[in-house]
Amino acid sequence: MRFILRRLGFYLIAFWVSITLNFLLPRFMPGDPVSRMFARTQDRMQPEQIEALRKLLGVDSRPIWEQYADYLHNMATGQMGVSISRFPTPVTEVIASQVGWTLLLGGTALVIAAVVGNLLGILAAWRRGGAIDSALPPFLIFIGSFPYFWLAMGALYLFGVTLGWFPIRHAFSDTIEPSFSWDFMSDVGMHLVLPALTIVLVSLGGWMLGMRNTMIATNAEDYITMAEAKGLRPGRIMFRYAARNAMLPSVTSFGMSLGFVVGGALLTEVVFAYPGVGYQLLNAVQGLDYPLMQGLFLTITAAVLLANFLVDILYVRLDPRVRAS
Amino acid sequence: MTQARFLRSARIAAAGLAMGALVLTGCSANAGNTGSAKADASAQSALLTIPREDMGTFVRNFNPFAPTVTPMTQQAIYESLLVYNPANGNTTPWLASEWKAAQDGKSITFTLRDGVKWSDGQPLVPADVVTTFALQKKIKGGYEYLDTVTAEGTNQVKFSFKTAWSPALFDLGQLSILPDHVWSKIADPEKDPNEKPVGTGPYTEVDTFQAQSFVLKKNPNYWQPEKQKIAGIKMLAFAGNDGANLAAANGDVDWAPQYMPNIEKTFISKDPDHRKYWFPPTGSMINWQLNTTKAPFNDTDVRKALSMAVDREQVTKIGMSGYTKPADCTGLSGNYEKWKNKQVQDNCEWTRLNVDEANKLLDKAGYPKGADGKRTLKDGKPFEFKISVGAASSDWLSVANVIAQNLAEVGVTAKVDSPDWAAVVAGYETGDFDSGIVWSANDPSPYKYFAGMMGTATVKPVGKKAFENYHRFGDPKADALLTEFAAAADEGKQHDIADRLQEEYSAAAPAIPLFAGPEWGAYNNTRFTGWPTEENPYATLSVRAPTTVLVLTSLEPAK
Repeated sequence: MRFILRRLGFYLIAFWVSITLNFLLPRFMPGDPVSRMFARTQDRMQPEQIEALRKLLGVDSRPIWEQYADYLHNMATGQMGVSISRFPTPVTEVIASQVGWTLLLGGTALVIAAVVGNLLGILAAWRRGGAIDSALPPFLIFIGSFPYFWLAMGALYLFGVTLGWFPIRHAFSDTIEPSFSWDFMSDVGMHLVLPALTIVLVSLGGWMLGMRNTMIATNAEDYITMAEAKGLRPGRIMFRYAARNAMLPSVTSFGMSLGFVVGGALLTEVVFAYPGVGYQLLNAVQGLDYPLMQGLFLTITAAVLLANFLVDILYVRLDPRVRAS
Repeated sequence: MTQARFLRSARIAAAGLAMGALVLTGCSANAGNTGSAKADASAQSALLTIPREDMGTFVRNFNPFAPTVTPMTQQAIYESLLVYNPANGNTTPWLASEWKAAQDGKSITFTLRDGVKWSDGQPLVPADVVTTFALQKKIKGGYEYLDTVTAEGTNQVKFSFKTAWSPALFDLGQLSILPDHVWSKIADPEKDPNEKPVGTGPYTEVDTFQAQSFVLKKNPNYWQPEKQKIAGIKMLAFAGNDGANLAAANGDVDWAPQYMPNIEKTFISKDPDHRKYWFPPTGSMINWQLNTTKAPFNDTDVRKALSMAVDREQVTKIGMSGYTKPADCTGLSGNYEKWKNKQVQDNCEWTRLNVDEANKLLDKAGYPKGADGKRTLKDGKPFEFKISVGAASSDWLSVANVIAQNLAEVGVTAKVDSPDWAAVVAGYETGDFDSGIVWSANDPSPYKYFAGMMGTATVKPVGKKAFENYHRFGDPKADALLTEFAAAADEGKQHDIADRLQEEYSAAAPAIPLFAGPEWGAYNNTRFTGWPTEENPYATLSVRAPTTVLVLTSLEPAK
């Protein structure tokens, strides 16, 4: 319990530091939202309208510490304000309308990649020098080191355009209405395959190698030899003795990745025109949309910290040494 | 017990794998579905499908005052009093059937068209125009010259100005008109999402609205029902050009207004009979602007010499993939074709490539070439400066690189500096830059363009933010002509003054014009015909311009 409380205190401080950074970093960037908007529309906006727009969008010109106090107050009360690039939609609404797709895509891809990657890693280490161990890692690393953009475009072109097996854009067909019907669900599933598959392909190698390497180290431990000497079944040794101990680093990185899922998969969204917060975040940064940026960074920070906290708790369960200290 | 736990985790793992397998098999089992999805699409073929490349998702916001409004709001839902078409220079009366400027140039009276109805069945009345301008001035500002807007009789609106102001016609005429009976009841007009818009346009009825696509259907009360030949418009959201270009190449969209690299190969070649593109040079003039508050750019001879060193053929061919044409010394883009002074145009010296003359002029102006072939400034420092362009604009970046190479031939060193656009523009605004590739004002009337190029009123001191005239060049002679232009009610007289403004521009060389920005546009006439073309330029192929409504009311399903 002390352990958990101490971790909790640590997370509170980490949270404060990160929301302060969220506040400061965007303000160090040159320009302000209105001149960015002006630069982007180029000849389509009138210079006379800039002052009025500044007022309309509520671009702050107060001293920075006053803005900061206000910002902390708003964060504490959960008011994230109105998005500038999507004016007048509230930030919470902008995020809420997209985060579901992001979680679906990122979560599916992460779970598949982590489960499959770890299982392959366990098998590869267990049968060292076997078929899986010698063929798969180089192949997966080869795929993983492709530029993601290129791989995604390739997959899209081959399976989407040329073969026509999968749809080439969006999260569902624009001819059907969202509902809890089988038609809609299967349509969403179809649209999910290519984006998720490409993410899984590029991340699988990392999971597999990480697991394989720790697993090899664990396999050399005395207690494994001991278990073998006792004549336990290989499957039991592999999962209960070796994998359980080798899994700790994987759990940590799973927690980290889980948190970052909320940040969206920008390149996937761009290639497959998949809705999500990644492109929204890029837009917010380019347009200096402070409220939306703060809202998104806050969500990401909170998710990463929360996921880490959960991993910490899980560690207590998995690793008795943490409990003892 | 441990055994049981292992079994449980194994079961969970197996379930996970099975789920993965399910997804995979589900897909292959479903592969047949794509065919039927395509059949659905052809059943709906009556919808004109258009991609929007810079919005990953749509937000239901049809408020025309919003800075990033849902696409088509000002093109298909709301209409303006008149439509100016830069491709042929014609002005089409739209919601106004005619207008008359007062002799003294201090007012214009528009007569509203008979029989125009809003999509809810109410008639268009002068109060609508009055309310629109009141809201526009209150929320968005601008229109400083406007004194009062008053309804006259049952179908006229009179705009009175503080002083004579001839560029007002298009400025007033191209604003989207909103219904008074709806907007006067909205409590917070600047923040209202206006989810069910009431407009006079051809396609006003929001049919389905989703984050990644939406459909607009016919306005049941449109004033030109015979021109609503398409069933509706479907917009698709894309996070970037790549997705939109793929949709166009795949034949999924009818209209492709976004930039496509190597369009002949990526788009046209797949179906050359049906796919066409047309890039009229009606965008704004793209200039190489030199910061005239700095030496040596305050020297007219230097600006002209540098201009003569630039190979504009190479600039447009390499930088702009040959999609546009080199500029001339009138400084006017294709948008102002009918304003061009032929005499000035025929005697352009300083916008033509002439390395010898450039060298001579620089020698004469006092920037000698050293032994290493590099020139020095008057204070003995090397003739070196930066060209700033935003990193995101790859085409303009290569334009800047071509210029830098050209300048090396006259002994001048230019370094291309390409941070993020925001940093570049921040430098332009405060006047803290050497030179940059910059757009310019693009209005139906050349007044704003020349005011922004060489009017002293638009010059802000270095350090104070400017939103036009970044190069900070002011010319009292141009000021006099601009004042005269603003007061000239008669169009013939305006043309005379515009001629003299071009002479002054050509003499002073306030900036170095490079090329007119092309208006991107491509289409696929498999499903719809009647597109504007170079032979029939009744509009441009832009989907964000005032002329878009002309295209929407001209297209018809292919037979």
